[in-house]
Amino acid sequence: MMRRFFAPLLALGLVLAGNAQAQDTLSPLHFQSDGPLGGIDKAAAQRGFLVYQTVCAACHAASALHYRDLEALGLTSDQAAGVAAGVKLADGSAATLDSPFKAPAMPASAFGGAVPPDLSSIAAQRPGGAQYIYALLTGYTTAPDGVTMLPGHFYNKAFPGGQVAMPPVLRDNAVTYADGTPATQSQEAADVAEFLTWAADPNLGTRHQIGLRAVIFFTLLSIVAIAARRGGGG
Amino acid sequence: MIKELKPLSSLAALLGLLTASGLVLAVYYNPWHAFASLGFIEREVNEGWLVQAYHATGTTLLFGLAYLFLFRAMLARGYRAPDDLAWALGVKLLAVLLLAGWLGFVLTGGAAAYWALVRAANGALALSGAAGAIGMWFFGGPAGEGTLARLALFHAVLGVAALAVLAAAYRRLKPKMSPGVCLDHLARFAVLALIFSVLAFFFPHLGQPAVNALPGDPLTLPLGTALPWYLLPLAGIADALPGAWGGIIGVVGAVAVLAALPWLDGSGPEAVRSRWYGVLTWVWGLDVIALGITATARDCPQASLLLALFALWYFFHFLVLVPLVTAMEAK
Repeated sequence: MMRRFFAPLLALGLVLAGNAQAQDTLSPLHFQSDGPLGGIDKAAAQRGFLVYQTVCAACHAASALHYRDLEALGLTSDQAAGVAAGVKLADGSAATLDSPFKAPAMPASAFGGAVPPDLSSIAAQRPGGAQYIYALLTGYTTAPDGVTMLPGHFYNKAFPGGQVAMPPVLRDNAVTYADGTPATQSQEAADVAEFLTWAADPNLGTRHQIGLRAVIFFTLLSIVAIAARRGGGG
Repeated sequence: MIKELKPLSSLAALLGLLTASGLVLAVYYNPWHAFASLGFIEREVNEGWLVQAYHATGTTLLFGLAYLFLFRAMLARGYRAPDDLAWALGVKLLAVLLLAGWLGFVLTGGAAAYWALVRAANGALALSGAAGAIGMWFFGGPAGEGTLARLALFHAVLGVAALAVLAAAYRRLKPKMSPGVCLDHLARFAVLALIFSVLAFFFPHLGQPAVNALPGDPLTLPLGTALPWYLLPLAGIADALPGAWGGIIGVVGAVAVLAALPWLDGSGPEAVRSRWYGVLTWVWGLDVIALGITATARDCPQASLLLALFALWYFFHFLVLVPLVTAMEAK
C-alpha cells in the first residue's frame, strides 16, 4: 500500500536545511496565501509537500502536478529529480520530472467505495479552501450521542454531514521536518493546506504582484488622464 | 453623436481583447478534454493563466458595460429617433454576446458547464418539428465531447459577429477625432484598465459558479442554477416558465421586448423626461437584479414563486406599463 518511500525525505532535507524554523501560524490560524496581497509560503508548502508525499499520496493523486513543478517551491532541478527518483511507478521504474503525481491504481472497493478525490485543485473546489482543508484534517472527534455511524466512516465535524470515509491519517510526528519545525498534527495540516493552495493556484503570488503594479500604474494614469481632460478638453 | 460613441470605444477595446485572448486560448483548447485542457493552459502554457484571466475578466467587464449602457439609454430614452438604429444595434449586440457568453461558459467543461449543456441539448432535442431540427443542427445530438467541438466554432463565429455589429454601429455614427475626444478616450481607457486590473488580478473568478472548479461529471450535480452572473437574469426568466418551450419563449421574448421598446413607447419624439417613466425603469432595473439573485437561490422554498413574480413584472413593464405611461404623457 505504501508505495512512496523515503528518498523524498532526504532530498527535502537538503532544501530545508538552511531555513529558519517556521513562524507560528497556528495560533491564531492564518496562511501567508490569505488576503489580496498574499503569496505562497514556500517553506510551509515544501513541508506540506513532504506531508502529501508521505501520507496523502498513498491514496490521493494530484495528476495536474508534475515533479518539475516543485522547482516553483524553491527546489533545484536536481533536488526535484531526486524526489521523482524516489517514487516508484506502477511498472517498478522511477518517476521522472515530467511524471504526474499519480495515485496507486486501486479499485473503489479498497477505499470502502469512496474514491479519494484528486487533490490538484481541491483548495479551489471546496468552499473555504485552505481553512477547510485544515479544519477537515484536524476535525476528527468521537461521534456525538445519538449519531449512528455508517460502516467504514469516521466522524468529522468539518465535513458536510459529519461522516467521512477518509480515516484520520495525520498524527503527531507522521513526518520529520528537516527545518526543525515540530511536526504536530495541526502543523502538518496547516502545511499541507498551504501546499494544496499552491497546487490549486500556482500563480497566486505572481498574480498578486503583477496586480499591485498594474493597479498603481493605472491609478496614476487615470489621475493624469482625467486631469488632462479637465484642463485641455474642457 | 460623440455621446453615443463613448461606450462604443470601450466595447470595441474589450471585444478586441477577447478576440486576441480567445485566439490564444483556441490554440491550446481541446474540446475532447475540455476541462483538462483548461488546466493545461493555466498550468503549463507560458502565461496561459494570464490570458485566461484576461478572457474571463474581459467577458465580465463587457457584459457589465453592455448592461449599463443599455440601461442608461433606456433611462434617457435614447432608443427613440434619431438614435433608434443605435439602440437596435445595441440590443442585437447584447443578443449575440449572451449566446457567445453562454457558449464560452459551456466550453469550460466544468461541472456547472457540463450540466448547462446537457440540459440545453436535451431540451432542444426533445422539441418536435423545425425547432427540433434546428436544435439537432446546433448541438449535433445529445451532449458529448463532440458537441463542444462544434460549440467552440460557434463561439468563435459569434465573436466575429459581435465585432461586425460594432463595426456597423461605427459606420452609422461616423466618429470624428479631435484632441478633446482623444483625451476623453484616454481617460476612459485608463479607468477601464484600472477596474480591469483589480478584477483580473484579485478576483479572477468573480461571478463564476464555484462548482465549475470541479470537472464535468454525470455524478457531480450543481444545486440550482449555476451560471455566470451575466446569464442569471435570463436564466431566471427561463426557469420561471415551464418546459423547454417556456424557456425558449422566455429568453427570446425578454430580448425581443427590449428591441421593441421604440414602438412600445407611445410618446412622441418631442416628449422629454417623464418622472413616472424614470421611476418605472429603475424598478425594472431592480427587478432584473432580483431575477438574477433569485435564480441562484433555489433552496429557498419561495424561490419559484418569487421567480414567477419577477419574470411577470419584467414583461408587464414592457407590454403594459411603458405603453400606458408614455401614452398618458403624450396627451
